[in-house]
Amino acid sequence: MPARAITAAAAAAVVLAFSPVLDAQQPPARRGTAATAAAVPSKVTVPVEYHKLDNGLKVVLSRDTSSPTAVVGIYYAIGFRIEPKDRTGFAHLFEHMMFQGSEHLGKNEFISLVESNGGVLNGSTRFDFTNYFQIVPVHTLETVLWAEADRMWGLKITQDNLTNQQGVVKNEVKVNVLNQPYGGFPWLDLPQHANTNWYNAHNFYGELADLDAATLADVQQFFKTYYAPNNAALVVSGDIDTKQTLEWVRKYFGGIPASKLAPQPDISEPRQEKERRASREDPLANRPAVAVGYHAPLRDTPEYYAMGLIDQLLVQGADSRLYQSLVQKRGLTGEVDGGINLLGNMFDVKGPTLFTVYVIHDADKKADDIIAAVDQEITRLQNAPVTKEELELAVVKRRSRLYADYEQFVGFGRANLLAAFALFDDAPAKINRLEDEFRKVTPETIQKAAREYLRPTNRTILTIVPKGKAN
Amino acid sequence: MAHRTSLIPVLGLAALLAGAVVTRAGQAPPAQPALEKPAAAKPAPQKPVAAKPSAQKPATAKPAAQKAAAKQPNTPFPAEPPKAGVPRDFQVPEPKRFTLDNGLQVALVQWGTMPKARVTLSMRTGNAFEKADEVWLADLTGDLMREGSSTRTAAQISEEAARMGGSLTVSVGGDSTTIGGDVLTEFGPQMVSLVADVVRNPKFPESELSRLKANMLRNLAVQLSQPQSLALQKFRAVMYGDHAYGRVFPTEAMVKGFTLDQVRGFYKQTYGAGRSRLYVVGRFDSPAVEAAIRKTFEGWQKGSEPTQPQAKPTSTRAVHIIDRPGAPQSTVILGVPTVDPSSPDFIPLTVMDALLGGAFASRITKNIREDKGYTYSPTSDISVRYRDAYWSENADVTTTVTGPSIKEIFAEIDRLQAEPPSKDELTGIQNYLAGTYVLQNSSRAGITNQLDYMALHGLPPTYASTYVKQVYAVTPEQISEMAKKHVVDDRATIVIVGDRKVIEEQVKAFGSITEK
Repeated sequence: MPARAITAAAAAAVVLAFSPVLDAQQPPARRGTAATAAAVPSKVTVPVEYHKLDNGLKVVLSRDTSSPTAVVGIYYAIGFRIEPKDRTGFAHLFEHMMFQGSEHLGKNEFISLVESNGGVLNGSTRFDFTNYFQIVPVHTLETVLWAEADRMWGLKITQDNLTNQQGVVKNEVKVNVLNQPYGGFPWLDLPQHANTNWYNAHNFYGELADLDAATLADVQQFFKTYYAPNNAALVVSGDIDTKQTLEWVRKYFGGIPASKLAPQPDISEPRQEKERRASREDPLANRPAVAVGYHAPLRDTPEYYAMGLIDQLLVQGADSRLYQSLVQKRGLTGEVDGGINLLGNMFDVKGPTLFTVYVIHDADKKADDIIAAVDQEITRLQNAPVTKEELELAVVKRRSRLYADYEQFVGFGRANLLAAFALFDDAPAKINRLEDEFRKVTPETIQKAAREYLRPTNRTILTIVPKGKAN
Repeated sequence: MAHRTSLIPVLGLAALLAGAVVTRAGQAPPAQPALEKPAAAKPAPQKPVAAKPSAQKPATAKPAAQKAAAKQPNTPFPAEPPKAGVPRDFQVPEPKRFTLDNGLQVALVQWGTMPKARVTLSMRTGNAFEKADEVWLADLTGDLMREGSSTRTAAQISEEAARMGGSLTVSVGGDSTTIGGDVLTEFGPQMVSLVADVVRNPKFPESELSRLKANMLRNLAVQLSQPQSLALQKFRAVMYGDHAYGRVFPTEAMVKGFTLDQVRGFYKQTYGAGRSRLYVVGRFDSPAVEAAIRKTFEGWQKGSEPTQPQAKPTSTRAVHIIDRPGAPQSTVILGVPTVDPSSPDFIPLTVMDALLGGAFASRITKNIREDKGYTYSPTSDISVRYRDAYWSENADVTTTVTGPSIKEIFAEIDRLQAEPPSKDELTGIQNYLAGTYVLQNSSRAGITNQLDYMALHGLPPTYASTYVKQVYAVTPEQISEMAKKHVVDDRATIVIVGDRKVIEEQVKAFGSITEK
């Protein structure tokens, strides 16, 4: 991490003066490259307060004074993986129903309440959770906690509301998939080919017929099964008074009864032993594309963190090996996209996930030429350990990306990680171990991870055959 | 414009949340592919705003329908939402400003708690400065600039930025082009130097030209297969005719014909310190950054004055259909030219837009999405360029209800023109704009965009400090007046990309159908 020592020290002093979240305990200066003196890398420590209510609700509070706002995120441990088998897309359709009315907030009122208090809101459905969040001026925090608790108490919706949102969700699938060239190919199609367990391998956006088949009884049953305090984590971050916030949380959420949770189905994927290939004709696309997905290491293994660095070395940024090879040197494509868990990041998925690379290319290039070029870089990683300088580069990129993750969407990203670690690990403070975990990765672990997880037999290749009219 | 958009959506409640609130800093949650150029021309209808939502009125908004009985009679859960507390003071940080002898205007802003700094050079060059037969020449110039300087190869530029924990991005827009990126706090001065080298000493290597043109042709083909891009292309062409704002995409022949001489010429004519502004925002060593700026930018040539022909958008009520046989949805843009940010009407117009279609709880969205279920991601927006703007509603609606969707959009416009909104509805929207203003100014990218927006449109510094006050000064009657005066819907241009044979009957009532 080369920088002029004086500059870096001065910068660190400036930062510390303004920032309660930076760690004052700087590690000893390290040696930089020959051309520059050693710099002191800054380290960010996220404040974490963790509580559990009697009804099982996990509560994480994290103070951040960057702006007079608060993030409220409630995460339920129900993702689209484990939706009912005859109701594909239901977990996501249900997410929409959470905005359709609760005891004290009728249709449209939740959204109006948040916006007319100066906030923004959204929800999303992922592999292992469904989240709902608001970013609001901090003085309206209590109002928003009340509203969020009201819909954890129970829903109050009608058949009209359900019919309406079936229409909305079908339009969502149309705009993102059915009327889009390449619609869903790396994030929706590829997992269906790469996985063998139904829970990981079904169409989680939903078949339109399944979306139509959903009933009000399904909605109530789903709520009863999964939307309970003991199946959720609530994160409040921002410029908050943590003591007061906890009092409000107890006041509004404390009385919601816990429910008896059903056992989780087995969502594991067997070790893949043979390469899979699939192809899809796309009537809207006019250039071919290829995606390759490798089953990623399970969470918290040494290889998991190594994979986070391999992602930086191979795919992320114009300096990455695949960009340099496929774009800069060979002109096979103009962009290399990909990463671990395309629908989020490497931290906010609990079950099996993919490390994916995908490109759009011209018809005069073969998908196999692209795969061969990818393989060449992977083979390099498998055959020899990376150098110290390469490892340092991966770590600094990963560390900087981590800070970007925290800051994403005015601090929502930090709440997202805290919620994931509370929900998955019962340990939100894990957020402060990430930097060290990446620093602990050795060239040997990277090599080992590349050999096991970037095996050709661990991958699935999906090609898009364009059938659209030439422009 | 040539930038490819993300293929990854959010499986969420809404695709485009609150319009402009979140800038594209860092890894924003993947949203629906943006239709517009990401550079400074756009920052969406930046709701440029200013400090002090201490002026913010207490959030009165509460649910309309209050039901007395709580579901759990044994709990003390209150039936009414608790009242909001007292708004915190919020000030957009005041930049330290200085101007170099060659005219480069610099603004430094210490902000935030993360050990990062954002360096952005914003230049008055881009697609608006292209000639009619050189669309995307600005993009090619930007792409080539990234391919090396007199002392650094493309790979070296990439690796240097990566070792600072960042990347160097050249982003070409309509009125402005930016070069820069976020780096770890200790690398502020080095990033300034890297940006200076890339912009001042481009090598424009001939060896990369054919590859970059092939990339550009591929991007062009992909974008022309997206219905939203096709709709925008037509809408702009109809509104702006042969003005540069009307030219969204080049022809293949244009791209194939570009030469290095054209690129060098474009660079020479439109790049220079006198038409550029440099922003450093975040946590950084101010004296060291200032020294780096002086050292690396002082010798840059001043360049020529930016000159752009004034855009004169015209709109007459007509329906333009681009056939997409079998399409499950119709992609609709319905819009009219309006005043731009330099007009005193602009802030009232912004409030009107949020109430009509810009916010999630806005009237059009409530109607065609939350009531009718015709669409997923409807949104209205005031699209802003230099001395130019238009209002439009954008929606992808199910094919069979294309006509009914357009009918409802017009009905909401007419209703707002005929009858002022209630005080409560307006207050809610004003609070929303005051709150989202804070969010817009709570990131390095947001602060940078805000400053650049004010500079581009020639807004006074007091604009920022009085914005919220001006938002709250708007009356219900003014909202109706803005709708009448500026959203002149009997002159609306309607563009539809959809299945012609299904929709033609449905939409012919809204205006003469032009083209084949």
